[in-house]
Amino acid sequence: MTVPHSCPRTEADQPAEVRMTVNGNPVTLSLPARVTLSDAIRDHLGLTGTHVGCEHGICGMCTVLVDGEAARACLLFAVQIEGAQVTTVEGLGRQDDLHPLQESFGRHHGLQCGFCTPGFLMSSYDLLRHQPHVCREDLPTELSGVLCRCTGYRNILEAVADVAEAHPDGIPGPGNCGHRTMVGRTPAVSSGTGVVATDTRPETNPAGHPREITLPTGEPTIRIAVTSELTSSPQEVARVFDDVRLLARCLPGAELTDEVGGGWYRGRARVALGPVRLSFDGLAHVAEQSAERLVVAAQGQDSGGGGAQARIVLSARPSGACAALHAEADVFLTGRIAGFGRSLAGDVSRRMFEDFARALDQAASGGEPLVGPQPPRAVGILAAALADRARRRWQQLRRRITRG
Amino acid sequence: MKAAPFAYVRPGTVQDVVAELARDGAKVLAGGQSLVPVLAMRLGRPSTLVDINAVPELDRLSRDNGSIRVGATVRQRRLQRDDLSASVPLLRLALPWIGHREIRSRGTVCGSIAHADPAAELPAVASCLDATMLLTSTRGQRQIAAAEFFTGALTTVIEPDELLTEVLFPVAGPGEGFGFGEFARRHGDFALAGAAVRVRTTGDALQARVTCFGISDQPVTADVTAQLRAALAEVGPSPTGSQLRRGLAERADEVAADVVDTSGDGHASTAYRRRLVAGLLAREVSRAYLTSTSASEVSAS
Repeated sequence: MTVPHSCPRTEADQPAEVRMTVNGNPVTLSLPARVTLSDAIRDHLGLTGTHVGCEHGICGMCTVLVDGEAARACLLFAVQIEGAQVTTVEGLGRQDDLHPLQESFGRHHGLQCGFCTPGFLMSSYDLLRHQPHVCREDLPTELSGVLCRCTGYRNILEAVADVAEAHPDGIPGPGNCGHRTMVGRTPAVSSGTGVVATDTRPETNPAGHPREITLPTGEPTIRIAVTSELTSSPQEVARVFDDVRLLARCLPGAELTDEVGGGWYRGRARVALGPVRLSFDGLAHVAEQSAERLVVAAQGQDSGGGGAQARIVLSARPSGACAALHAEADVFLTGRIAGFGRSLAGDVSRRMFEDFARALDQAASGGEPLVGPQPPRAVGILAAALADRARRRWQQLRRRITRG
Repeated sequence: MKAAPFAYVRPGTVQDVVAELARDGAKVLAGGQSLVPVLAMRLGRPSTLVDINAVPELDRLSRDNGSIRVGATVRQRRLQRDDLSASVPLLRLALPWIGHREIRSRGTVCGSIAHADPAAELPAVASCLDATMLLTSTRGQRQIAAAEFFTGALTTVIEPDELLTEVLFPVAGPGEGFGFGEFARRHGDFALAGAAVRVRTTGDALQARVTCFGISDQPVTADVTAQLRAALAEVGPSPTGSQLRRGLAERADEVAADVVDTSGDGHASTAYRRRLVAGLLAREVSRAYLTSTSASEVSAS
């Protein structure tokens, strides 16, 4: 247990500053003393895997590890956690590499609605970490700190017993506690109380943008590699690569709001998918710009508490008379959007890049890209596809005419 | 379920803590496992919380002069794991019953005693062993024996400006045996009734006392030496557990009738709590007696 250092009196209407390490990342929060650790984790850090049920220490939904021991996050004020190591369910495993407990809960169907699952995972992690030889008969008592209203507990106990058996010498540690920048909610959203800063946050220079956009290390949430055959020539593509404003107009749902200078841009990106509406405000930095290669780093925050960071590499190379556009992107998602199914988020992103390539093709051939500040919609995508087909037909015709 | 706003301070020394406590409306925050629910439900709205977790000396767990000394911020789970608690077997028996692992990770031993919930385990353990509480304020320090410490539901002799800095639990002597049991509808709930027992058998001398909890506004301690002696006279000097339990049964009913003075609530009536206490008492006194006799054999050999 960490003994925190002393801190002077903070009045009830003043924010207090607290430093802690969450899933391996140092964070500094400024919040009123009465904010619980569970609220700080969810509302200020955007890590909504930790659930909140009763808020008075009965249900166990908010169970997290504090200095390696399970504790109720609703019975701790965040200010008390000064200097401590906190592990939440997000730190336990990765979507493509689950912790054995997560994997076992899935296999045994140890969840139904899933609300208690983060609590059970953290509680059973703590149990098996400290008592790897716990016997099956003691599991109901040992896991009584978390309530489940769906499963009748049987499958949960099976899941934990299975992992205990498979790991008699102790279970593996948390699998997703790397050096990873977290994107928190904007202060405006959390009513002026959530000034989130990570220690890894780059310094802001007088121009109002960070010196650089630091991408998290570790596995990205989505990795995209899309190659599109364009109808435009490499020279035409180079012209678009050279014009960031035009390039931005090719990106579905994107809008360039401000040119900061020095390769920095402010912008907005909107995504509309059925009832899903996301709107990211953020910064983009063109790190490399040449006729055939463009490297952009971007970070954005969704008003709902999600965040995205990405590194995008576009390269154009000749493919016959035309150009082939290759887009590679590493996208890191945090907060509520990270809850999107990995494959869905991947599909949507891939589709967006395909639309982007199509729009870029139009722009390269001198037309106005058929996407704009409107979020991508089925009609838009369809229209773009039809226009594309029509143009291709026209170009084929023209070629025939010139040949003939 | 959010606490009302409060000022927060985390002093680094006991001196600074008690200076803060001398102000109006200040309340000690140690583990917070009892206090924070009270704040969340706004049953309490202290103007200042004085977090004592930055005081290194309060985090001490040590043994001296026949006692183990438990500092104000020592967590229940730490004491449960520490070898020192083996010298106070009643603590070892009682600690697993407190809440859940997740609660014991943060909940402190001293905090539970200072909070004095009538159904809590540690106040009963402190009463049964006649532990000593060390209170500190700007006015100085005082020691209070458990018998004088608890004064009612959630009430002790601690003044608003005082800090419970340490609790001293006497180390078990030769020929002492212990029993602890409680009944709750779910594990981790506050007990409907519970009993902590210490039996001392040294040579012909016999002493047995029981502290019951969850049955009055504070832990109630009774001397049950006469009842145990009578039961032993009936079943012989080396009874089995079940023989002794049967010998104690009727006498336990009488003790239970005496100690249970709650008027009952939605969870259990007075009569039901009496039956629980009687059952727990017969079982735990019997267990304590049998371990005390084997303990005296061990210490004699």
